[in-house]
Amino acid sequence: MPLLGSFCLLFALALAGYCFVVGVVAAVRKDAVGYRLAETARRAGMASFAAVLVAAGALVYAALTDDFSVAYILHHSNRALPAPYKFAVLWSGQEGSILFWALLLSAYGFVLRLRHKVDQRLVAMASMVLAGIQIFFLILVNFVANPFGMMDRLAADGNGLNPLLQYPEMVIHPPMLYLGYVGVSVPFAFALAALIMRYPGEKWIHITRRWTMVAWLFLTFGISLGAHWAYAVLGWGGYWGWDPVENASLLPWLSTTAFLHSVMMQEKRGMMKVWNVWLIFITFMLSILGTLLTRSGIVSSVHSFAQSSIGDWFTAFLAIIFVVCLVFYIKNRDHLRSENKLESLVSRESSFMFNNLLLLGACFAVLCGTLFPILSELVRDVKMNLGAPFYNKVMVPIGLFLIFLTGVGPLLAWRNTSVGSIKRNFAIPGTAALLIEIAVGILLFKNGVRFWTDMGQMYAMMAFCLSTLVIATVTSEFIRGGIVWKNKLQTNLFAGIYQLSRRNMRRYGGYVVHFGVVLVVIGLAGAAFNQDKEQEIGKGDKVQIGSYTVVGEEYTDDDNANYSSQAALLEVYKDGKFLTRLNPEERFFKASGGQPVHIVANHSTLREDLYVVYEGRNPDTDHPIIKIIINPLVNWIWIGVLVIVFGTGMALVPNASPVSVPVRSTVTVSQMEEQGMQPAGAGK
Amino acid sequence: MKKILQSLLLPCALVLLMGADNQEARFQNLGGKIMCTCSCSQMLLKCNHVGCPNSDQMIRELRANVTKTKNDEAVLNWFRTKWGVTAVVEPSTHGFELLAWILPAAGLGLGLLLVVLLIRNWRMRPATVAAGDMNLAPDLEALRARARRETEL
Repeated sequence: MPLLGSFCLLFALALAGYCFVVGVVAAVRKDAVGYRLAETARRAGMASFAAVLVAAGALVYAALTDDFSVAYILHHSNRALPAPYKFAVLWSGQEGSILFWALLLSAYGFVLRLRHKVDQRLVAMASMVLAGIQIFFLILVNFVANPFGMMDRLAADGNGLNPLLQYPEMVIHPPMLYLGYVGVSVPFAFALAALIMRYPGEKWIHITRRWTMVAWLFLTFGISLGAHWAYAVLGWGGYWGWDPVENASLLPWLSTTAFLHSVMMQEKRGMMKVWNVWLIFITFMLSILGTLLTRSGIVSSVHSFAQSSIGDWFTAFLAIIFVVCLVFYIKNRDHLRSENKLESLVSRESSFMFNNLLLLGACFAVLCGTLFPILSELVRDVKMNLGAPFYNKVMVPIGLFLIFLTGVGPLLAWRNTSVGSIKRNFAIPGTAALLIEIAVGILLFKNGVRFWTDMGQMYAMMAFCLSTLVIATVTSEFIRGGIVWKNKLQTNLFAGIYQLSRRNMRRYGGYVVHFGVVLVVIGLAGAAFNQDKEQEIGKGDKVQIGSYTVVGEEYTDDDNANYSSQAALLEVYKDGKFLTRLNPEERFFKASGGQPVHIVANHSTLREDLYVVYEGRNPDTDHPIIKIIINPLVNWIWIGVLVIVFGTGMALVPNASPVSVPVRSTVTVSQMEEQGMQPAGAGK
Repeated sequence: MKKILQSLLLPCALVLLMGADNQEARFQNLGGKIMCTCSCSQMLLKCNHVGCPNSDQMIRELRANVTKTKNDEAVLNWFRTKWGVTAVVEPSTHGFELLAWILPAAGLGLGLLLVVLLIRNWRMRPATVAAGDMNLAPDLEALRARARRETEL
């Protein structure tokens, strides 16, 4: 099997090389021979997917059958590892994850080449660009980080998978994130292809709109799964630590979000063509940078599971991409002139521009913070990591402005918005936001929270207010449009809203995404009101935190083939009434030399999470040390993510066909012929 | 416009001035900028695990410094000197570390400048009239205006 895998990787490289070189020749020739060559290049590109798939299958097979003659399997798996995690071995180490990148890239390429009839010339060029990217990753897996390297001696058992990765979400999180990273390659390939060909119109945008949204969806889902994993496994009570690798996944997400908004200006008004092309170029480069940070270990992170000199290859690749993009931009920049101009600063266009400015500003701030340790090491010989206080100070105000624009933007019209229209549209959402803000303020005050003494809590209050504004805006958009459809179809409001959404799925799906985003923001704002306590809890000992009382009931030890564990059984009372039993645990994985992993016990409600971590035992008393954290509103984050996923799914669905209007008078065929008319549908 | 600007600036100023000169708030605020040096990768006030060799001492030192020194930056510098520059995760506002604060602001400022230049460029360019916009029948123009009014599209 390893031999088959190695062969398939070499074969895939040859096929991708053929696809690229012949694709270039075909693009230059532009005659019948060129057309036939392009077809062979397309088929070679599709075959490369089959070759990489077999190679990836061979590696998974080796993991499932405990083939420790393969060095990669020896280092990342062991016999006692449960089967789903053996499957996850494919992306758990450096070599495997690069193979996984190559697999997903060739899978995207396969679908793209399969659907070539959408625009054969443009797809042929985009396929060539994708083949160029494939070549890079296939060179890496063949010659730099080969996952099929063999051991000199056969070991009895492997070193095991990193215990932090032995969690159900870890089987899904990396593939989702990689699908997002790699998915960005497709719009990048189309954008570069359109620029190289000086392709007329906005067709590349129409073709790649769904690809971009799918990539964004995977990135969103992947990032949130990672956050949930950090919350459930790392045991520090948070979900986002501004770790460099977390930041690396946020960077392309921010720029893709900016692209998804600004691209609408190009579609509707033929504006911001240069901006959009560079946004997608930058997004792709950021996705490569993300892979570089994850895999090279150039910045210290809890995520940098594999560290090596592979970073040099990625740096060189980034430089090549930048040069190629720059050269073709300089050569063909006259092709990207705007067709329209901005007519008013108070318009949908300007709100998109400021939205883009803030998203890219946020992206730049995160990039600076992430790369600052490298800069500080170069200048001062000290790797100074920037922590959450820096990011919170910089990012929270930007985030608040973004939510404000999310609320305001949809209420502005394209081209120009009158003052009267602003007043009319803002009256209800603005009033609702103020009323909710006052109600939340009173509620917090009654609960003894003096939010005006804490900057974080003040920001949280602002976030609540702006989130309400967005929710009111979105709701009013649905209701106003729904009423129009209700009257038109003589039906009820809900049916009217359904009809409205079905006729512009992209717009109303987008509003649902905005609604999901504010739910996430409300959840994030809840962190300003966290409470925590750590204490030794023996049998019968009590800890009071907030309105909860936690009582130690029992503590136990356990042992199985994969890990040994210690756990505590705790009873929880709320306002004196029994609420639940919690069982926090700490596992020590044998194959990894007893590396501990927390299994957090969490009582989760919409209002707050009671998050309990088993921190170990006090060697003097043998009593468990328990950390208890009250995390308000965390569930809103996960619900918000689900709403975002639903909204994006909605936006991906094609619109319903227009409502048919009944014909008032019939016209016979002979009458039509007399008047030179054709029946409906003829000539399509 | 002036009134709108004033009404936007007033709450911002109020927010920035809130929470100043409160010792407990200063202690909490500074404790969130200092890392525990026991290699647990947690903020000082979050690292309350039993048996931590450093956090208790560092917390005591922080409390003493907050009482003794009025200037927050001086407190952070004291920690930088004693525990190393990596103990403070918020960059200082002078020297090389100032760059960490300047870069994001400069990036945003540059972006704003670009947007302003872009808008200026668009405004100076002569308007292109689409073929469909020319010689519109008055009744069609009225219908279009009504559609715009009703849908805000």
